[in-house]
Amino acid sequence: MNTIKREIRRMGSRRMYFFGMVAVPLLILLFFVGLLSPGLPLKVPTAIVDYDHSELSRQVTRNLNATELIDIDRHLESYDDAMAAIRRGEIFGFFVIPVDFQKDALAGNTPTLEYYNNLTYFVPGTLAFKGFKTVSVTTAMGIVKSKIQALGVSDDVAGGLIQPVSVAQHPIGNPWMNYNYYLSPSFCLGAMALMIMLMTVFSITMEIKNGTSPQWLASAHDNIILAMAGKLLPHFVVWSVICQFMLSLFFCYFHFPCGHLGLLSIAIELFVIANMAMGMLWSSIVPNPRFALILAALTGILSFSFLGFSFPVQSMYGAIAIFSYIMPTRYMFLIYITNGLNDFPLYYSRFYFIALIAFPFVCALLLPRLKRACMKPVYVP
Amino acid sequence: MNTSTPDNNTIPTRRRRRGIAGWFDALARVFRREWTIVLSDVGVMIFFIVLPLAYPVTYTLIYNPEIVTEMPIAVVDNSRTPSSRQLVQTTATSPSISIYAQCADMNEAKDLFARNKVFAIMEIPYDYDKRVGRGEQAVVPMYFEMSLLLRYRAFVSAISDIQIKLVEEITATRLEAVGASTLGISGMPVESHNTFLGDRGQGFASFVMPGVLILILQQSLILGICMLRGTSNERRRRNGGIDPLQIHDAPVSARMWGKLLCYFVLYIPLVIYVVKCLPEMFALPHVGSAVDYLLFLVPFMIASGMFGFLMSNFCTERESGFLVVVFTSLIFLFLSGLTWPRYAMTPFFRLLGDLVPATWGVEGFIRINSNGATLGEVGNCYTSLWILAAVYFLVAWGIQVYVNRSVRPQLQPESAK
Repeated sequence: MNTIKREIRRMGSRRMYFFGMVAVPLLILLFFVGLLSPGLPLKVPTAIVDYDHSELSRQVTRNLNATELIDIDRHLESYDDAMAAIRRGEIFGFFVIPVDFQKDALAGNTPTLEYYNNLTYFVPGTLAFKGFKTVSVTTAMGIVKSKIQALGVSDDVAGGLIQPVSVAQHPIGNPWMNYNYYLSPSFCLGAMALMIMLMTVFSITMEIKNGTSPQWLASAHDNIILAMAGKLLPHFVVWSVICQFMLSLFFCYFHFPCGHLGLLSIAIELFVIANMAMGMLWSSIVPNPRFALILAALTGILSFSFLGFSFPVQSMYGAIAIFSYIMPTRYMFLIYITNGLNDFPLYYSRFYFIALIAFPFVCALLLPRLKRACMKPVYVP
Repeated sequence: MNTSTPDNNTIPTRRRRRGIAGWFDALARVFRREWTIVLSDVGVMIFFIVLPLAYPVTYTLIYNPEIVTEMPIAVVDNSRTPSSRQLVQTTATSPSISIYAQCADMNEAKDLFARNKVFAIMEIPYDYDKRVGRGEQAVVPMYFEMSLLLRYRAFVSAISDIQIKLVEEITATRLEAVGASTLGISGMPVESHNTFLGDRGQGFASFVMPGVLILILQQSLILGICMLRGTSNERRRRNGGIDPLQIHDAPVSARMWGKLLCYFVLYIPLVIYVVKCLPEMFALPHVGSAVDYLLFLVPFMIASGMFGFLMSNFCTERESGFLVVVFTSLIFLFLSGLTWPRYAMTPFFRLLGDLVPATWGVEGFIRINSNGATLGEVGNCYTSLWILAAVYFLVAWGIQVYVNRSVRPQLQPESAK
């Protein structure tokens, strides 16, 4: 009880706590929600190089402009001009219609449409690719269709001729392919994990740096577990409020698809505790502010990559993918995907929950080491 | 080195030389002093040296598998005919897809899906063979796991290749049946050919790393500067308001440029390692001219340093930098437009991005390094970086002058003892 009072006083006495626990998390939340709210960056700036200037080539240009993915915002004279525009960063891709395109297409000489996408920017490059590919395929099919129809074949049969098998795509959980649905929750979770770990480490190791750690232990009758619980309880309350606010913002205010909101809000509490436990673990391994903060920052930042929402964990090298198992964020992300986005029952995420619950117990194993360091605080700059 | 004895500088003394020569003399003294401070501080050396050396390697290793292959899918074949088996076989030949299981029904497949064993389900309808045989269009539903855009994209691209293959196999025979072969149509009347620029293998590391490298350079420099400043502030508090290791008789501008020059010299080999050696080591795109991007990075490093001086005002303690700087990496990564294109941002976020050196640094470096642009073609980024460098210098300088003026008078008597 004394420890709790003491910690609340400490938190109130330094602006850094307010900054790291309230200001930064809220800033990050608003940042991602504000930045990503358009969902998908449509209308990629692209160009067309039309060497043909025929009716058919103009038709292709109109078709390109009609797709929501791309925006043909300039007509260029040559391939070289277009490449220069790519290098200047003005466009993310271009489409080339060859000389005599209409003539060759109708004569059956199979002209080739060329298109180029700048993949140095992944999302726009990919979207431009998708738009170009769709239009080039539909152009080809349109020509076949009109030729066959000229033979007196009915529309239905012509459709079957051109595309005998069509794969109907059903993206589960996110049929809108809204980029925001993965990016915002996963990045905000990662950011929360980072800040929780940093602030926990900061709070523990500052006691050692300032030499106040014996006093801290004394307030809990030299029981490290009680001392730690008392210290982290006020933190836990603040983080819970922040994280629940985050969930309500995503799923209630912005209506992100979410199956089991109740499960998610339980999971996020476990997630907060697991991350505090990680912070505790780093402080126990190296009871020194700088090194412990380096460990927390390193794991916090790297966890963004290990989460596997940008690049799948399954495709990473085994020795590296293994690190994803020691990140609480990874489990939280899997719970979000399983119970939230995909709306599967708890049964399928039971191991992720168990893993989150296990974090504080495993991390507490090193507490005796931290206690020794706290009894005789030594500050290594 | 006699300048490193503290008593030489504790009390502000009369300037030794005046004018331009005096300024450069002060600059040189600051440079020498900062050099010793940096080299003797292990924490700062970790940020300045170890971070740029080791971090990019770690990062590249994470993403180095580059492309996603052999994604497991489940197949529910309700048709069970030679033609549906042909479809499954064609699907299995795709390098992006591997067939994890043939399920008896959708429930079984859904269970695998929920266990994360498969990332897509292909459901072949019972009338598949009939429809293909009759010359109608057969529709095959396919369900995708959407937790990862990269995976979905790979699936879509693989599926469209499979469709084209099937068209070639089936349409040719059908056209002959209706007598269309006399028209000279065999397959598609128009072919299309696609080229990926900048990242020809469509690899993930090749796309993300060049930008991340630049961001790492900026962040490591800022972290180091913040730690130096925090440490200096701690020394100042311990020594009654004066940091004994600072050169106090140097003008503020000389102090800033002297320090910056020190970091700049230190970073030359590191920058070369990060932007030249690393992409070659990991076979990331590197088609640009080294002269162009090294010249381009000069204003980038200056602007980052000046930005670091500005940020360091928030660092009262040696360790504050972690809490102040680390989380900004995330925000800067997004503002740079690497994951989310800048043209799709609202004007407010674009403006915010304009203020970060890394935004221009990432964009310019990627265009030179991956697209082979010349320095002239990234002129807008280059100019913006010089402007940022100038603006941040003026702001940081202004703050420093203001702080010195408001702090000095009260502390003068104490330090004069």
